[in-house]
Amino acid sequence: MVTKKVLLRMERIDKKFPGVHALNQIDLDLYAGEVHILLGENGAGKSTLMKILSGSLERDSGNIWIDGKEVGDLDPEHSKSLGIGMVYQELSLCPNLSVAENIFLGNLPKTKIGAVDWEKLNKMAKESLVSLNVSIDPRMLVRNLEVAEQQLTEIARVINRQSKILLLDEPTSALSDAERDRLFELIRLLQSKGVGIIYISHRLNEIKMIGTRVTVMRDGKVVDTIPVEKTDENQLIQKMVGRKLNEQYPKIHTKIGDKILEIKNLSSENKFKNVNFQLHSGEILGIFGLMGAGQTELARSIFGLDSKMSGEVLIDGCVLTKHNPNDSIRHGLGMLTRDRREGLVPMLEVPQNVTLAIRSQESFGQIIKLRTEKEFANKFVNSLQINPPIINRKVVFFSGGNQQKIILSRWLCCESKVLIFDEPTRGIDVAGKADVFRLMSQLANEGIGIVMISSEIPEIIAMADRILVMRRGEIVTEFQQSVTQEDLLCAASEF
Amino acid sequence: MSNSIENEKSCAETADRYEISAKSNYSSVVKSTLLKSGPIIAFLLLAIYLSFASPYFLTGSNIVNIVRQTSITAILAIGQTLVIITGGIDLSVGAISALSASVAAVLMTQQFQIGGFMIGPVGVGWGIIIAMLVGVSVGVINGVIVAKGRIPDFIATMGMSMTIRGIALLVTKGMPVPSHAVATELKGYLPEQIVWLGNGSILGFPASGVVAILVVLVGWFILRYTVLGRNVYAIGGNRDAARVSGINIVRTKILVYGISGLMAAVAGIVLSGRLNSANALMADGEDMKSVASAVIGGANLAGGDGGAIGSLFGALIMGTLANGLNLLNVNAFWQRVVQGLVIIGIVLFDQWRRRKFKA
Ligand SMILES: Nc1ncnc2c1ncn2[C@@H]1O[C@H](COP(=O)(O)OP(=O)(O)OP(=O)(O)O)[C@@H](O)[C@H]1O
Ligand SMILES: [Mg+2]
Repeated sequence: MVTKKVLLRMERIDKKFPGVHALNQIDLDLYAGEVHILLGENGAGKSTLMKILSGSLERDSGNIWIDGKEVGDLDPEHSKSLGIGMVYQELSLCPNLSVAENIFLGNLPKTKIGAVDWEKLNKMAKESLVSLNVSIDPRMLVRNLEVAEQQLTEIARVINRQSKILLLDEPTSALSDAERDRLFELIRLLQSKGVGIIYISHRLNEIKMIGTRVTVMRDGKVVDTIPVEKTDENQLIQKMVGRKLNEQYPKIHTKIGDKILEIKNLSSENKFKNVNFQLHSGEILGIFGLMGAGQTELARSIFGLDSKMSGEVLIDGCVLTKHNPNDSIRHGLGMLTRDRREGLVPMLEVPQNVTLAIRSQESFGQIIKLRTEKEFANKFVNSLQINPPIINRKVVFFSGGNQQKIILSRWLCCESKVLIFDEPTRGIDVAGKADVFRLMSQLANEGIGIVMISSEIPEIIAMADRILVMRRGEIVTEFQQSVTQEDLLCAASEF
Repeated sequence: MSNSIENEKSCAETADRYEISAKSNYSSVVKSTLLKSGPIIAFLLLAIYLSFASPYFLTGSNIVNIVRQTSITAILAIGQTLVIITGGIDLSVGAISALSASVAAVLMTQQFQIGGFMIGPVGVGWGIIIAMLVGVSVGVINGVIVAKGRIPDFIATMGMSMTIRGIALLVTKGMPVPSHAVATELKGYLPEQIVWLGNGSILGFPASGVVAILVVLVGWFILRYTVLGRNVYAIGGNRDAARVSGINIVRTKILVYGISGLMAAVAGIVLSGRLNSANALMADGEDMKSVASAVIGGANLAGGDGGAIGSLFGALIMGTLANGLNLLNVNAFWQRVVQGLVIIGIVLFDQWRRRKFKA
């Protein structure tokens, strides 16, 4: 970089929420053509900082300059007009509109008489999706998309606005390596056009791949800003969590027991077909596939969330006939869905959210002991380090990663025999991931069978005893533990 | 070496961040209490104003009057609150009150010939049980239509409301029961216990007020301490999450509408006691009053938020306002205007306050 043009500068940004000093005198700047990585534990304040830039939160104090000009109060409209585009951690699409409408919302092409020009709209949407190398039908309703596809749609929308400053808050949390690579190509292209990008991710290996500089935040403060080539993952972790991590993947090798879950000839119209597998007690079974390979739909069908399917699901030799979550939970099945918004009840506090699945098995007249419930929730707040450790707080007010930990707790406490985790560590920081893996290992050690769906290859290889690879709705290969990243990706890709 | 220093520093920093949290925790407790007690404060302000504006307001007989006026709305508002928290709305509560009270009144005052047997008039106990059964049944049908038939709540219950008002007209033949003629000539009165529920008192406190307080307590207990209550909040808060967590949405909704129907029947009995008779068109306008009470009391029409105590104060505000306007001799047409505007005003204020102190 010869000339460093400063696109954006923030000085002494401060923000307090009731109970938490979220941002404490933050300084940050962004050059044209750089990818500035923002790193920090769950609850460090990354999303809050980005939301202040995009205008969806007001700052308490601090100054912001864009292109050398100081800007006053930001609201979403103002921020957009200054060329700031943001992909939110909790996506902000309208579920009942089509992909194309979402991409061009507020900017729909019109015919001469002022009606929406649908043909043109869909064509333009198709083009912008193709530039991201994705094949999503622009006419699909967003609510029928997978999380990864929603993520890509949101990215397409923001990129389409031709923003000068892009804020990407965990844009890859649901993407597998293949889709991520395409996103990175696009980011590099934008970079070469002088767009400045702030990029938040808990996947540390992405820093070297795409980053120019990295800023580490902790407890609402900036710890350090360093050029990427002058640092490494260990140093960054150290700065981020303030200590060394013992072990990233604490896997306990357990004796694999009897068969507890059996899937026989499971098919669902054009989602997946003829799936057969078994899961044993104490086993962690990984399922890997690229976007649209059907792994999420498979998991949902097993749990009874999508009922249009044929085939059998057996737990402990007993066939599930009702295909609804209530019945599945009764038989000892638990499932963490990929989309966090499908799990949280935002206006309830932590204990109520954690115990929700247990309650579903109790009779309506059962009296709840609030004290016991709180103690129960506290146990998980401690073992998963949910932060801030204030449980009588509505869960909307927790950071994304902490929300994930809260829903995860719901299934850890449910005394299930089989747990299906779809992307269990989505949005959780490095230290937290290790905690989650430790708990998973312990559960397996106690004889629970775990199906783990993950788009992160290193974690699935480290944690799973066996890995099934899905492609186009079918299980194509099975790997034992010693498999390389390349093999896995190869088996999952089309040729 | 440098490690451990860094480590200590980070602990101090963390504590720092939460010291703020400890302080503002105190202020956030104050804030959240203020938030929750919004309706109580509004009620007190109204009462203080009226006690200065009219010398008659704080007299014993006027307070008894307010309690009598309010208790019907409060009873209905509790069932309504449960429904609203699930994300629904029950526009048939007034009609259910009328139907169940009418059926009970007919059975308690008249004789029937069924298959050669003379039946009735039935006793009070039976009258009340039958009224409740009618209420619960209509409520359950509402629930089934809404949850199984997947029809929007307000359409289903509005349709039900028209239907059962019609049935009540058929049952009563469009007359008050007992009609004036029956009462004077045949001495067919409503049982005295029912009349007592509407007009009597216990140690000077209106009996209908006691019923309302009991109903509020039951509602409060259900919402706070039972699995049903929890399910109600979860379904209204995020239906998808409730489903994934295994909560039986259909059954919960049916039960909640059933409870709303039951409360409507209780309100109907009390009201018929107060009027000394039942008729098919009574409790007209109570649907909207109960919705307004719940919303003034903090319930969110989108579901997931609300409470029994809040709704009680919502009902008290509505009742006190009507009473105050009467005391101040406001013309009846203007009373409507003012009441409507006050409802809008209170809810606007509530929204603003929530945004301001969102915590
Ligand atoms: N609306 C809110 N009200 C109250 N507190 C909030 C609110 N939003 C965020 N917080 C708190 O502010 C702190 C910073 O949250 P933020 O979402 O910025 O974290 P983050 O760095 O994005 O974490 P994650 O990696 O988990 O997404 C957290 O302690 C969180 O609980
Ligand atoms: Mg975040």
